[in-house]
Amino acid sequence: MARYVIRRVLLMIPTLFFIALIIFTLAHLAPGSPFDKNENRPLPEATVARLNSLYGIDKPIHEQFLLYLGNLARFDLGSSLVKDRTVADIIGSEWPVSAQLGIQATLLALAISLPLGVISALKQNTIIDYGSLLFATIGRTIPNFVIGIFAIYIFGVTIRQIPALSGLALPFVGWGNGCGPLPSCDVKRMLLPTVILGLGEMALLTRITRASMLEAIRQDYVRTARSKGLREQSVIVAHVIKNAMIPVATIIGPATAGLITGAFIIETLFNIPGMGREFILSVNRRDYPLIMGVYMLSAGLIVVANLTVDLVYGMLDPRIKLAK
Amino acid sequence: MTPRDRSRWSLLAVFVALALVISACQGQPGGGPTTTAATGDQADPNGELVTNMGSEPDTVDPQKESFVSEIGVSMKVFEALMTFDVKTGKPIPSAAKDQPKVSADGKQYTYTLRDGLKYSDGSPVTAADFKYGWERLCDPATAGEYAFTGYIVVGCEAWNSMDPKKDDKAKQDAAKAKFLDSIKVDGQNITFTLTDQAPYFNAIAGLWVGVPAKKDAVTKGGDKWTEPATFIGNGPFVLSEWKHNEKMVFTRNDNFRTPTKIKKWTQVMINEGAVAFAAYRNNELDVYGVASEDLRTINGDADLQKQVVDGPGSCTFYVGFNNRKAPFTDKNVRVAMAKSFDRASYVKDIIGGIGKPATSFIPPGMPGYDAEDTFQKFDAAAAKTALGAASADAQTALKTLKITYSSSARNKTRLEWFQQQWKANLGVDIALDPVDSTTFTQLVKKPETLPAMFLLGWCADYLDQQDWLTTVFSSKASSGRVGYNSKAFDDLVFAADKEPDPKKRDDQYIQAGRLLSQDAAAAFIYYNATKILQKSWVKNYYITALGFELAGFTDVFVTKKQ
Repeated sequence: MARYVIRRVLLMIPTLFFIALIIFTLAHLAPGSPFDKNENRPLPEATVARLNSLYGIDKPIHEQFLLYLGNLARFDLGSSLVKDRTVADIIGSEWPVSAQLGIQATLLALAISLPLGVISALKQNTIIDYGSLLFATIGRTIPNFVIGIFAIYIFGVTIRQIPALSGLALPFVGWGNGCGPLPSCDVKRMLLPTVILGLGEMALLTRITRASMLEAIRQDYVRTARSKGLREQSVIVAHVIKNAMIPVATIIGPATAGLITGAFIIETLFNIPGMGREFILSVNRRDYPLIMGVYMLSAGLIVVANLTVDLVYGMLDPRIKLAK
Repeated sequence: MTPRDRSRWSLLAVFVALALVISACQGQPGGGPTTTAATGDQADPNGELVTNMGSEPDTVDPQKESFVSEIGVSMKVFEALMTFDVKTGKPIPSAAKDQPKVSADGKQYTYTLRDGLKYSDGSPVTAADFKYGWERLCDPATAGEYAFTGYIVVGCEAWNSMDPKKDDKAKQDAAKAKFLDSIKVDGQNITFTLTDQAPYFNAIAGLWVGVPAKKDAVTKGGDKWTEPATFIGNGPFVLSEWKHNEKMVFTRNDNFRTPTKIKKWTQVMINEGAVAFAAYRNNELDVYGVASEDLRTINGDADLQKQVVDGPGSCTFYVGFNNRKAPFTDKNVRVAMAKSFDRASYVKDIIGGIGKPATSFIPPGMPGYDAEDTFQKFDAAAAKTALGAASADAQTALKTLKITYSSSARNKTRLEWFQQQWKANLGVDIALDPVDSTTFTQLVKKPETLPAMFLLGWCADYLDQQDWLTTVFSSKASSGRVGYNSKAFDDLVFAADKEPDPKKRDDQYIQAGRLLSQDAAAAFIYYNATKILQKSWVKNYYITALGFELAGFTDVFVTKKQ
C-alpha cells in the first residue's frame, strides 16, 4: 500500500510537467499580449516593447518556460502582468473564498443527495422516487446561470414587491462583511450561492446513488445476506449502501476538486471574490503567470483527488487490489 | 413518454409561470421598495453611499492607471493642482491656490499651493510632493500608460522612452536629471518648463497623472503601496478597505480642507449588468448606470422612471477605415460609407436613445463641438453618387470587404445593423469578422495589422480639442489608428496646439474638424450619454462629461434611508 502511494505520488510529477507544458504553450500561442487591454487607446509600440522586455516576455517561449519552471521550483509563481499583484497574493486571497464556497456546496450536496438517492432506490417507482427524479432532472438540466438569475430576481426583487413577504428579501451582493469561517459569516448572503452551486452536484449524486443502489440491491450477496436472516436494516447499511458507494466516490473526488477551485458563473453573479473568475479572465487578458498559477493549482488538486478516490476504493471494496 | 420527459415539461411550465409572476410584479405601479417617503434634504452625517464600479481595477496607482473606474479611485483619494468646473469643464484651482502664472513665451507654468495642505496621515503636502508625482509619471520603470500626457514637459519623453533594463545606466541618469531640472520647486511654488507653448497644459494639471503620491509610503509599500495601509493621499476620501474583487470602501478624510458630506462610500464590483440592476432594486446599490437593455423594464415601472437622471457623455464612436488600404485609399468610398447609414435610427433602435447621432468627432459639451459640421449626415443618394465616382480598383476591393470587431452579443447586433444599412442604401455586402477583445486590440494597434474596417470609440481625457483631433487623427497620433495622413489637417492642428489666442485657436480646430469629416477619415456614428438610476435619498451626485468624479465629490450626500 505504502509503495503504491509513493509510486502514484512520484507519477504526479511527470503528469503535472506535461500539463504545465501544454498550458504554457497554448497560452503563448494565443494572439495578443497582456498589454492589449484598452482597444480605444492601444499603447504605443515602443511602450509595449519596453514592457515586454521588463517582464521577460520577449524571450523565446522555451526559454520562458524553463525560467518559469525554475521559479516554480523555488515556489515563486511570479507577478500578474495585468494587475499590480503577485500571483501568490491573488491565489492566496481568492482561493480560500472559492474553497469555502465549494466545500459548503459539496457538503450540502452530499447531505441531501445521499439520503435522497438511497430512499428513492428503496422506494422505487413511488411518489418519493418520482419527486427525487424531477428534482435531479431540474438540477442537472438547467444551467446554474439561469437558476442564479432567477433566484436573484425572485429573492432580491420580486419578493420585495409583495408587502407580506418583503422581509424575506435576501441580499446577494458580495461575500458578506468581514466574513471569515462560517459561524461569523453573514449566512443570508451565502445561502443563494451555496445552494445554487451545490444543486448540480446534488442532482448528479442523487441519480448516481439511486442507480448504483438499485444495482447493488439485486446482487447475489444481498440475497445471501437476506437468506442468512440478517435484519433488513443491516443488509441495506452493511451490504447495499457500502457497495453502492463505489461509483459515487468516483464522482465525488473530481467534482469536489472542480467546485473548490472556483465557479466562474456563481462568483460573477453573486460578486464573490473567489478564484473562479480568474480561469476565464486570466486567459482573456493573456496574463500568462496567472493562467499558469490557477490552472496548475486546479490540475494539482484534480490529480490529488483522483489518487484519493483510488485509495478509497480499496477501503470500500477489498476486492479492488491496489498494491501489487 | 418516460417519466423523465414529463418532468422536463413540467419544469418548463414552472419557468413560464415564474416569468409571469416576475413580470407581473414589475408592472405593478406604486408597490415597491422605492416609494420612499420624503425625509427632507438633511444630509445624514453618517451617511453611506453604495455604487458599482464594475470590475476590479487592475491598478489604482495614479501614475499607472488608465481606466475610468481606476481613475475614479485616485480622484477620490488624491487632489491634483487643478480640477474642472462641474458645469463648464474649465480648469479651476484645486490644490493650487489660483490659476497658474504663465511666462511671456508661454512655456513656463507656475502653480502656487494653498496653505496648510495635508495628507490623510496629517503630514504636510509640499510642492516637492507634486514634483515626485510627475517624476513617477515620466519614470520608465513605472511603466505608466498615461505617461504620454507628460511628454509636453521638457525631458519627460526622452527619459520615459528608455528601456530601464537594457539602456546604459549613465544615459538613464542623465535623462532623468534633465527631466528633474525642468520642474522647479520653490517654497509653495512649482514651475513646469514645457517643450512648446501648450495652452492645454492647465487641463493636464487637473488630471490624476501628476497627483502627489507620497514618497515614503510608496517606498514602504513597494509593489503593494496601493493597499489601504500605504495608499495615503491628499484628497477628500481615504481608501480604508479593499477586498479584492468584491469592494472598495472609502471614508471621509478628516485632514481634507472641505469635509465630505458622506462618511462612507462603498464601491462594489459587480461585472454583470443584470445583477447590478437587481442589486439596485434590492436597495443594495444607491446608483446604477442604465444600459439600453434595461429601458423596457424601466419604462414599464413608474417608480423606476422617477429615479432616472440623464447626464452628458464624453465619447464618440466611429467606424474606422484603414486609409492606407484599398478600397479606403479612395476618398469616394469613405464618403459613401459614411453617408449611407441612418444615425438617428441607430441611436433610437440600437442603443435605446442613450446617446446622440454624430456627424463630427468632438461631442457636444466639449470645447470645439461644431454643430454645423454635418457633412457626413445620412444621405443615401449622395452616398450612391460618391460610390459611383470611386475607382475600378476600389470597386473590386469592396466585394471582399469585411468589418472587424471585438466579439460580443452587443457588438454583433450593432454590426448586423450596419451590414443591413450598407446593403440597403449602397448595395454593398460587408462580411462580419468577430475576434476576441484582446486580439482586436492587438490588430488595431499596428498599421501593418490594422483591419480594413472596424468599430472604435474615443473618450476625452481632458477638455481640450488637442486631446481629440491631434491625439487621434494627426500623423503624430500615438497609435496607428486609421492611418489618415493629411498635410492640411496636420498643419491646422499643430498650429492650433500652440496658439495662445483662444479665438484663433478654436477656429483652427474647427477648420481641422471639418476637414476630417469631409475627408471621411472615419465615419462618426454617435456621441454617448450617461443615464443612471438614483435612489431618492441620494443628492448632489454630479454626472460629468469626463466620467470620473470631479470636484472631489465633497458635495454628494444621502438623507436617511428608509
